[in-house]
Amino acid sequence: MSHRLLLMCLSLLSLGGLVHCKKSPQEGAQPAPPAASTAAATVKATALTLAQEQQASWIRNFNPLIAPGTARFPTRAGVYEPLMIFNTLKGEFVPWLAVKHEWSEDSKKLTLSLRPGVKWSDGQPFTAKDVAFTFELLKQHKALDFPSVWAFLEGVQAKDETTVEFTLARPYVPGLVYIVHQPIVPEHKWKDVKDPVTFTNETPVATGPFTEVKVFQNQIFELGRNPHYWQPGKPAVQSLRFPAYPGNDQANLALLTGELDWAGSFVPDIERVFVSKDKENNHYWFPLVGNTTTLYVNTTKKPFNDVRVRKAISMAIDRDQIVKVAMYGYTRPSDSTALSDAHNAWRNPQAVEAGDWTRLDLAKANALLDEAGYKRGEGGIRAAPDKTPLRFEINVVTGWSDWVRAVQIIAQNLKQIGVEASLKTYDFSPWFERLQKGEFDLSMGWTSDEPTPYHFYRDLMGTETLRPVGEVSARNWGRFASEDADALLRAFESTNDPAEQKKLAGQMQLLFVQNAPVIPLFPGPSWGEYSTRRFTNFPNKDNPYAKLTPNSSPENLFVLVEVKPK
Amino acid sequence: MRHLLRNLAVYAVAAWASLTLNFLIPRLMPGDPASIMFARFAGQLQPEAIDALRVAFGFTNEPLHQQYFTYVRHLLQGDLGISIAYFPAKVTDVIGTGLGWTLLLSGAAVIISFVLGTTLGVVAAWRRGGWLDSVMPPVLVFLGAFPYFWLAMVLLYTLGFVLGAFPLRHAYSDSLAPALSGEFILSVIQHLVLPASAIVIATLGGWMLSMRSAMVGVLAEDYITLANAKGLSQKRIMFHYAARNALLPNVTGFGMALGFVLSGSLLTEIVFSYPGQGYLLIQAVRNQDYPLMQGIFLTITLAVLGANLLVDILYVWLDPRTRTR
Repeated sequence: MSHRLLLMCLSLLSLGGLVHCKKSPQEGAQPAPPAASTAAATVKATALTLAQEQQASWIRNFNPLIAPGTARFPTRAGVYEPLMIFNTLKGEFVPWLAVKHEWSEDSKKLTLSLRPGVKWSDGQPFTAKDVAFTFELLKQHKALDFPSVWAFLEGVQAKDETTVEFTLARPYVPGLVYIVHQPIVPEHKWKDVKDPVTFTNETPVATGPFTEVKVFQNQIFELGRNPHYWQPGKPAVQSLRFPAYPGNDQANLALLTGELDWAGSFVPDIERVFVSKDKENNHYWFPLVGNTTTLYVNTTKKPFNDVRVRKAISMAIDRDQIVKVAMYGYTRPSDSTALSDAHNAWRNPQAVEAGDWTRLDLAKANALLDEAGYKRGEGGIRAAPDKTPLRFEINVVTGWSDWVRAVQIIAQNLKQIGVEASLKTYDFSPWFERLQKGEFDLSMGWTSDEPTPYHFYRDLMGTETLRPVGEVSARNWGRFASEDADALLRAFESTNDPAEQKKLAGQMQLLFVQNAPVIPLFPGPSWGEYSTRRFTNFPNKDNPYAKLTPNSSPENLFVLVEVKPK
Repeated sequence: MRHLLRNLAVYAVAAWASLTLNFLIPRLMPGDPASIMFARFAGQLQPEAIDALRVAFGFTNEPLHQQYFTYVRHLLQGDLGISIAYFPAKVTDVIGTGLGWTLLLSGAAVIISFVLGTTLGVVAAWRRGGWLDSVMPPVLVFLGAFPYFWLAMVLLYTLGFVLGAFPLRHAYSDSLAPALSGEFILSVIQHLVLPASAIVIATLGGWMLSMRSAMVGVLAEDYITLANAKGLSQKRIMFHYAARNALLPNVTGFGMALGFVLSGSLLTEIVFSYPGQGYLLIQAVRNQDYPLMQGIFLTITLAVLGANLLVDILYVWLDPRTRTR
């Protein structure tokens, strides 16, 4: 999402343009501009330089338990570590501090076996007590319970040195990911912390690959290796350097000058702007595993409570053009399950087949609206039987140029089926408030970004996150809710059989396709760029061992331990 | 002295008014910080996390007037609260990371621009019709019409990126630790050149023009003719007779300019990744971080009021009339 903030400040586009204009003799002979050589020379090849957060100056904070984004990257997954990591590209949990998980027959008890021999960076052993202690902290301090594990947990108990048992209040298998992704803190250090909610933990003691704070200044900090790291020979990188860049523009500029080795920012027209500057070393990989950009429809309002209207609007949208014009061709049109490539393994071909309403078909769209009783009136605009014309506003955030361009295309498209839609821009806060309170006709938005389709569909169709119009709802902004969906969701919660889960997820997709509660547009790319000038073994198309982007915690840990100096 | 005391009372009232506005304006914005932070994670946080955020940030539903009294009381104790965007750091600490750099950048830029612009104005008026007088004003006014950050981007691209003559970002070299060494100071100066130039170029024209027109008026005065008749040196007449008297309007402008430059330098800072207040303010607005916003506005307000006070004192020294009354 942060890439849009840059578009607000607009300069990279102009910078990119300028870079392109400069087809001077310099370009062919010397791929990197002169600034690069000086910048590169000062950085030791043993330190990996990366940009994940956008800040002008650093505040020292390595508390992995407080609001994500307030502690320095990679505190949650890099300094500290989770129990297991879900690998989106492989669709499976990778053992980390825990080697095995086991559900009881009734799915109300989860037993985790911890990795023996793991040490904290001060040399003390890591045990099941630390895990139980961490979860106990979350229970005592509601402000730390971001994954909301205590909404479904009843108790956490260290059975022996390497076994932890979680007791659930109700069968809730999808909760696994929130339990195992929780960063674990050492009991012997944290039991004396007076208020863990405001603790800044300036010198962390942790299990992760990078735990030593070597340098901490307002515009740069550097993390060194954990002397006791449990993976032998890893990490191969000596230290991580984080220069402060206040925005995407500045980070992108550092990418161009060769100062950055790894970044996760949005770069417009990347082939020309970045790759062509140094074809051998500059690489990117944008797999479509982010959340799905979606046109939300307020289903509490007429005429959007009619599924035919929702489908007709969707059929009139030219997604190919949106992808090409608004997204630089970085993605593809969404199919009618709305799932991104992160959920490829779950996709139900039957549902994809049944969902014709994400394919451009004006004749069918017009026929659907005719059938629903919306006759064309003055100026070709359709009107409801009670004469209210189909005239709507589509809400967008000011300056998020990809969304704005997409909506401009949609508005053009909808004219062809006699629906007059106009672009309405708001600043971020008022836009988001309208979306959450259900005070809109149509609005751009995103979907949930979670390991299984369970949360994805729960937040689009379930009654659990449904709130009345006017009340803030964290999810389910379109306010469509179905009891059939609830039944499927409940069944999914209580089964840990993969085949059964897949069957249920397939049924959810069919239900979604049938009801079109929202109008999916395109799956979001996950942004990642790297340079092989100094380091290798980044994930890419040919070696997709993990997501490339550093923005996807805790999956960034895979890359942190695998990257090697050249 | 009475003149100064009266002014101090005015400053106290101005400070109170701006503190109050400071409190009110952020609270008129729609939305709430917890939702904004939740939204920043675009679907990666559980819906229930909003509640955790609300608890963590300690939101109150107190009536506005009570919040106001708490705000004033804390302010008098020097407690600006805890930042939300940089939770759980204290606002004073967050501002502390950048304030020095912002003051250095905008202070250096304003002073250079003032001294250079005023001198150019004096010389231009003295040699009226000369090349300096006919070429510089239109050029500088033209450059002054560009926003600071745009000039900053042009400088960054041409001198920094293409020619590589100056560093592209930050306030000092990343490989140095802040210290009172020659190497560090040199690095700071080197990093200051481009951002300060952007501001100087944009503001130079104003100083020059106002000085020039004030000079032209003063040069027609009888005491200049008298000074000439007395056979004083041209340099002495130019600086001690004409410039000193023509300087007053520019000195008044100096206090005001600091306010404009402080707010204008924010964008320049962002272009050069300068670790000042600029980005902090944007972060504060983006996250609806009231305490931080208030803190930053407070420092800007105090800086402007302080500069004006300084100007008042300077006035007493420059203009004998203010002393006699």
